[in-house]
Amino acid sequence: MATADPIPELGSTRTLATTDLVVLVASMLPENFESLLARLTSVFPAADVVVATENPAPAQQYSSLRIAAAPPATSSWSLSPGNYVHAWQLAEEHNSRGILLLGPGSDSLDAPALQMLGSAVLSGSIDLAVPRYTLPPHGGMISSSIVYPLTRALFATRIRFPLAPDLGLSPRMVQRLALTAQRLPQPEQAEGLLWPVNEAAVAGFAMEDFDVGLRPLPQPADVDINAILVRITGSLFSNIEAKAAYWQRARRMPPPREIPPQQPITDGASEVPRMVESFRYAYNNLLEIWSLVLPPNSLLALKRLSLMAPAEFRMPDSLWARIVYDFLVAYRLRTINRSHLLGAFIPLYRGWVASHMNLTAAGMGAEAHIETLAAAFEADKPYLVSRWRWPDRFTA
Amino acid sequence: MIRSLIHSMISLFAIVLQQERITAPFPLYSPNESVWRQMSQALHVSLYRVLALLIGVLPGILAFFVALVIFALIGKLASLILRAILKAFNFDARIARTGAPPDWTPGTSPTAIAVRVTFWVFVFLGLVIGVSAFDTSYAVGSALTFSLLPYLTRSVGAVVILVVGTVIARFLARSVLIGAVNAQVPYARFLSLGVKWLVLVLTAAMALAHLEVGGVIVELAFSILFGGIVLTLALAVGLGSRHLVSRSIETQLERTERTAAPPGAPPPAPPPETFRHF
Repeated sequence: MATADPIPELGSTRTLATTDLVVLVASMLPENFESLLARLTSVFPAADVVVATENPAPAQQYSSLRIAAAPPATSSWSLSPGNYVHAWQLAEEHNSRGILLLGPGSDSLDAPALQMLGSAVLSGSIDLAVPRYTLPPHGGMISSSIVYPLTRALFATRIRFPLAPDLGLSPRMVQRLALTAQRLPQPEQAEGLLWPVNEAAVAGFAMEDFDVGLRPLPQPADVDINAILVRITGSLFSNIEAKAAYWQRARRMPPPREIPPQQPITDGASEVPRMVESFRYAYNNLLEIWSLVLPPNSLLALKRLSLMAPAEFRMPDSLWARIVYDFLVAYRLRTINRSHLLGAFIPLYRGWVASHMNLTAAGMGAEAHIETLAAAFEADKPYLVSRWRWPDRFTA
Repeated sequence: MIRSLIHSMISLFAIVLQQERITAPFPLYSPNESVWRQMSQALHVSLYRVLALLIGVLPGILAFFVALVIFALIGKLASLILRAILKAFNFDARIARTGAPPDWTPGTSPTAIAVRVTFWVFVFLGLVIGVSAFDTSYAVGSALTFSLLPYLTRSVGAVVILVVGTVIARFLARSVLIGAVNAQVPYARFLSLGVKWLVLVLTAAMALAHLEVGGVIVELAFSILFGGIVLTLALAVGLGSRHLVSRSIETQLERTERTAAPPGAPPPAPPPETFRHF
């Protein structure tokens, strides 16, 4: 398939000398860009670093940095397939030992975070370095409820943010991602999502995540949850479907990480009744569609949930894991139209958010709950594998 | 009685095979015979005519079924070959890579759809050819008019219209239901049912028009019904929900102004929710 080359000609910057690090930086305000360059200089004083960016050239000169032009990013909140292709071409051109991709809003990453990500790939032992952010209260709900538990259970990795906007990559990792990006259909070249953790797991590459502290995550321009959830979930389900041969095998999980104790979060309690009411409304109207996807046990549990008072609303982790797995199987089997399927999934996700907010308000740490949820996904993985192989065997 | 019936049928077959005009073997009325005998003779004549008609139609029916079965078998064979070819070329993966429209995600794989379409095209061809063969043989074998015959051909098209209309109605009903529930629109189920029945009524009207049943009455009834529903909805929205509509338009305008901010301006404020999905 012929694909348009999204990379402009970089002209005379081509060199045969080895570069230590290529850093691809997303668009940001000039003062933030200057600050980021200063941090990069302080972190890698002796390294040969090429910074490719669409930002205008900085006023101040940095002796250890070379600035190259980069095409405008097509996504304002995540790394786009074009970013990987461009990073690979730059890495080839500069014969670099490592690549840092810094997404929108990456100016908030401090120097230790940049050093951890850069040093990990420069050491040669890590192919994929992923930051582990400290989330604000009730932040990153889609990642916490769906992306992280599914990725952890199926690909046997504890990377907390599989869709992180900042990454450290080895040359072979960026090459793999670029080739995957080039195989995407043309409409998805600009706005599609790639799943680096899944790719690294399938390729058998080493990966690790690093605690980088608080970082305001860029939000999609369209704040409509319907569009965001359908896009992320649909892309993840498709990726899981394509890698079914890999994740169906049993694998050993890496050791669990320590979760520091967290304070109860009560500032979202006022929104719980609205979300529970939304869930009830969906239960009364979408039961017919849910019954095409979910087994009777899950439907019965949802009925019990719909009768709960908002303050007592708790969705068991095992039920949520079973719901996600059943929707994943229905996505694969095309039980109903896929856009309908993902649309019918949204109220269930809202119900999970309400339950999570109730739990954290009651004193359970948010990260502790996410870890418990991910463990429930792991425990229920045999159900998914069985339904994937014999879809008609499980009807209850 | 049975013996006379068998005798009559044998003579009837002989008549049909000789391609001669059917005539009663005895006079229809004779003043010297009893009433019972005359009635019996009249019934015999009627039976002769019915059986003659049936025998005249039978070759056409046989031709219809033969054409249908043969084309169904050919269709099955063609679909099997097509499936093997598409699998060999990894058709599904190629379609996924080239990118189908994101909103068009059918319930089956592209290969299965292509195979099914091939099979049913052949069945449809068999139906058309079978109906033509029936029509031809019937016209040759009999001079009688058969008023339902034109509808047999049209009914195939009407069935296709009905099937497609039903599928579209179900798709639209589900789309409206899910969209309305996620947007928290009241009466989501009512809206969904309304859309479904509108499309079904439209489909039924199209099928009847295709069959030329009812003529102007169907068009008039459909126009009145459809126009009435649309007028009712327009009045309901205009009179009952004008504040809601104006608020919605204002919100949309504010959102447009925010997104049209000049380059370099600070990003728009995050949504007022205390949680973030991403």
